Amino acid sequence: MGLESYQLGKQGEEIAEKYLLQQGYEILERNFHSQQGEIDIIAKHKGFLIFVEVKSYSYRSYGSPVGAVGKGKKQSIIHAAQAYLYKDKIKNIYSRFDVLTIYRKYDGQTIIEHYKDAFYVS
Amino acid sequence: MLVKIASAAVLGLEAYQIEVEVDSSKRLPGQSIVGLPDAAVKESRDRVRAAIENSGFEFPPGYFTINLAPADTKKEGPLYDLPIALGMLAVSEQVPINNLNGEVILGELSLDGTVRPINGVLAICYSLGKKQKKILVPRANADEAALVGHLEVIPINSLREAAGYLSGKISIPPHKVDIEALFQHEPEYGIDFADVKGQGHVKRALEVAAAGSHNIILVGPPGSGKTMLARRIPTILPPLSLDEALEVTKLYSVAGLLNRKGVLITARPFRSPHHTTSDIGIIGGGRIPRPGEVSLANHGVLFLDEFPEFDRSVLEVLRQPLEDNKVTISRAHSSLTYPAQFMLVAAMNPCPCGRLYDLKQNCTCSPSQVQRYWKKLSGPLLDRIDIQLEVPRLKTDELSTMQPGETSMIIRKRVKAARNIQIERFKTSDIYSNAHMSSKQVKQCCVLDKEAEAILKTAIVHLKLSARAYDKILKVSRTIADLESSESIKAQHIAEATQYRSLDRNPSTGSG
Repeated sequence: MGLESYQLGKQGEEIAEKYLLQQGYEILERNFHSQQGEIDIIAKHKGFLIFVEVKSYSYRSYGSPVGAVGKGKKQSIIHAAQAYLYKDKIKNIYSRFDVLTIYRKYDGQTIIEHYKDAFYVS
Repeated sequence: MLVKIASAAVLGLEAYQIEVEVDSSKRLPGQSIVGLPDAAVKESRDRVRAAIENSGFEFPPGYFTINLAPADTKKEGPLYDLPIALGMLAVSEQVPINNLNGEVILGELSLDGTVRPINGVLAICYSLGKKQKKILVPRANADEAALVGHLEVIPINSLREAAGYLSGKISIPPHKVDIEALFQHEPEYGIDFADVKGQGHVKRALEVAAAGSHNIILVGPPGSGKTMLARRIPTILPPLSLDEALEVTKLYSVAGLLNRKGVLITARPFRSPHHTTSDIGIIGGGRIPRPGEVSLANHGVLFLDEFPEFDRSVLEVLRQPLEDNKVTISRAHSSLTYPAQFMLVAAMNPCPCGRLYDLKQNCTCSPSQVQRYWKKLSGPLLDRIDIQLEVPRLKTDELSTMQPGETSMIIRKRVKAARNIQIERFKTSDIYSNAHMSSKQVKQCCVLDKEAEAILKTAIVHLKLSARAYDKILKVSRTIADLESSESIKAQHIAEATQYRSLDRNPSTGSG
């Protein structure tokens, strides 16, 4: 991972957190790590526990941005979510996996797309 | 939170009730379907999700476990989409649960939430016990379901409509069909015996075959009208009784071949599978057993053109259904019985090139080729074919000058009268026509007069007929006598029946 894309990712997560706070979400964790994977943001909103994956783009890539979260990535997020629930002994709460895509146009304008319930355990 | 919805599964021609149990729990989102689902059932997950969202409902959160009980029988097909979707809506309280009062619910969902027709609805409706009075079916299957009189059939167009109905927001009047009116409707075949010029003696033989439900084989050169004649046999068979019509409709419903408008089948089936059809295709079967051509021809005609071109295995598997009028297929996960009561009509050329007995053209086949061709037809198989007939080629002037013959309707009247005599005769036994007589019944029912007996004796001596042929001649002559409403079998009846053993007489064919 080049420095540039690392910085892009960090910036994206900042933007995402700000966006979620604006929407009334309560941020519980940033960059939650478990042995099996990582979750960018864990938030709470209207009784739901929400696991958010942030995807940042410096240009509009081909295909759906949600499609960029591949099968392996989904699995690692799901594993990490299970680890989080287990660690904090969280039970009896509805949860959801969201994907936030952040894309900066050449004119500096930032476009955020929020895909709720983007994937699920299969 | 748990919701149970009644539904059904089809196994062979029978159906049994199952319960769709939908449970949701507060865990990571997802769902699983258990209860031995096949691929189509598993895929319902994606259809249900899209249908719920596109119908203006919210896809409920949480983890869903969907159980199709009893869990030890395999479930196939997409018919559980609608009950699963309604179950999920009920669990998430988008549809009130207490309004589910044991209605049986069936239906495949389209992604936009409309309900698509499914197979086997008639079989399912027949299997419902006394307790189940109400059934929700796809609109396109409503006619079919309403054929079972005592049920309250609610036709459903979409998921939204089903949810509205179960919530009591909208009312849908039960669907009714006038079964009497459907049944009175004369079947239209679009073809008629009067279309065939000449070939008087073949038509007569087909009339005899139809009257006694005798199996028949037609031997003749290409272009002599074998296929044309065979196709018209259903038009002279007596019309289906209501029970027979329902049985045929049920089988076609399970096979997914029912006209999607869902009307009662009143015309006798005519099946003519190509000679490359496999034995499984003929008899039925497959990993998940499906009815084969013999069952699709139930109560009708199975026409096998180019008879010796069929695989040997295909011809041999025909023997059991010809004997028992049903097929039992056993596979690893189930053993099923399908009805197979049909009239076999076979057609073949006299030799591979087709010109063996042609007076104008010479046959180009070698004797060994001809022999090999005929050898395909085993003794036990020919044994089950009562009438063997040569169909000669028509001469050109015959074709242009011949008057059209009798219409199918006139012939059908005679056939029907002869069949009624037989039904009366076999009232106490479980057969219904002369073709199925046992040798004991042959002795009982085929009483010859003196003259007839003398002719039969001469025929046997001179034509060197076997004991097998003897029984066949008696059965066919019984039918011919029935066609004339004659109590005893007379000389002319025996004489005509003897003619229908052409393969026994012809030494070059080497059979009989």
